[in-house]
Amino acid sequence: MTGVLPAWSWQFARGHLPSVAALPAELPLTREWAWGGATGAGVKVAVIDSGVDGAHPAIRGVAGGVAVEVDARTGRTTLVEGPHADLYGHGTACAGIIRRAAPECEIYSVRVLGARLSGRAAAFVTGLRWAVDNGMHVANLSLSSGRASQFATFHRVADEAYFAGTVLVCAVNNIPVPSYPSEFAAVLSVAARAGDDPFDYDYNPDPPVEFGAPGVDVDVAWTGGRTIRATGNSFACPHVTGLVARLLSKHPGLTPFQVKTVLHALASNARAVPTPG
Amino acid sequence: MTDGGAAGPWEADVLRALRDLAAVVGPALAPPGHHERLQSLVDAARDAFASQACSIALLDPDEQTLTFTVAAGVGATSTVGLRVPVSVGVAGWVVSSGQALEITDVTQDPRWAADVAEQTGYLPRSILAAPLETEHTLIGVVEVLDRDASRPGAERDLLMLSLLAQQAALSVESARLFTDSGRMLLDAIATAGGTELESLSSAMDDVAADRSSPVDPDLAELGSLLARLAAAGLAERRLAVRLVADVLDYADGRATP
Repeated sequence: MTGVLPAWSWQFARGHLPSVAALPAELPLTREWAWGGATGAGVKVAVIDSGVDGAHPAIRGVAGGVAVEVDARTGRTTLVEGPHADLYGHGTACAGIIRRAAPECEIYSVRVLGARLSGRAAAFVTGLRWAVDNGMHVANLSLSSGRASQFATFHRVADEAYFAGTVLVCAVNNIPVPSYPSEFAAVLSVAARAGDDPFDYDYNPDPPVEFGAPGVDVDVAWTGGRTIRATGNSFACPHVTGLVARLLSKHPGLTPFQVKTVLHALASNARAVPTPG
Repeated sequence: MTDGGAAGPWEADVLRALRDLAAVVGPALAPPGHHERLQSLVDAARDAFASQACSIALLDPDEQTLTFTVAAGVGATSTVGLRVPVSVGVAGWVVSSGQALEITDVTQDPRWAADVAEQTGYLPRSILAAPLETEHTLIGVVEVLDRDASRPGAERDLLMLSLLAQQAALSVESARLFTDSGRMLLDAIATAGGTELESLSSAMDDVAADRSSPVDPDLAELGSLLARLAAAGLAERRLAVRLVADVLDYADGRATP
């Protein structure tokens, strides 16, 4: 018997490998099993955006926040912990939608906008890494980068999040240009479709945009305690984020691929497949 | 100049003459028709979207402010020259996030139309906006106010506007490259023609060191290095070309590890 082990095979050695939890469900999956009675309690949700106005009645407080600043001279990013304002209202809109499906989740605002504009991509990556490093269960990214030079960096960070167990829910751009990390297979990509029921969403069998959720003429929370009506893929995204938070509060510890499997099975356009035999 | 060192007597005369020419021509340097091209873009967009107004705002070098450069339709005259911060409004959001945006009823939060209403006195109901950017640079934003959303094909307006935005962005970028390169050269020539300086290389160094010069200091320093490279051997020049090309490939994300 050979004593040589190829790379990584040492992780699978008997006595070294821990057991994993199989998906705790019977088929077919039901919405009642997935999130019936769930509230999002105990789930940490990062809103990576322009900031979140915790004082808005639809938000009812944020659990924490961090703002990414970019040095104008060096391009280096630094994290500033603590409360911060929502510069535009967009992050607040997303947080408000997330709260609809997961009223008791813990919302963390990761502000990556408002810093030096040409440091945007670096701020975005730093914010994403903060979410992974700080144990966020799910992150809402209603933003993306279209720069070819950022492809590799975002791909790497998306995979880091995937393997660390942070579910990334990403809106694709409102115009048909490249969207990173939204287009990657390791994330849940979302585009808008009509409708206003937060539990009504579709799975697209022809990716890279996998999920369609309400994002046309949606009433969203805005700064100053207001509510406005808006359209965009970035408002469809938090609908899915809210569902993920709700699911994880009832079934903690699901991996990102288990989460996607559950959402795929419970999409409005999912049809039951007769079991053989 | 045989060795990249001090200029001879008649060369110094030529440089001084070029200096005088450059001092006159330099500030006016810009590719012909650039402004007209942008104006025709907003004129066409305003018509194509059956809208009240269309305008383009460009990002200032400080990246804190947007300046409206061309406009068509209602309030066009008051809009041109208007400056708004990037931290507020539709224009600010679009350029900060890089996302195109449609607000169907801006009157619910008029701050989003602050950039327009402030001085034109015209508060639109709807705004459609798209970013102007290239692979490397944020340039600005194009806005369409109160378009007719009921006309056939209007559901593709965001796509159409983004195509127009791309055209405008490329136009602005190429104009800037032309202007920057030309000004750098002319500025260096003008400086080299002075009585104190003796070589093009040291003239470029001076331009690079002059923080008040409108020329990008990195480009100026590159110009200085190129001037020195002109006096170097063939092998050195080939190595330099290889290195610069590799740097650009890496920046474009095409580098092989």
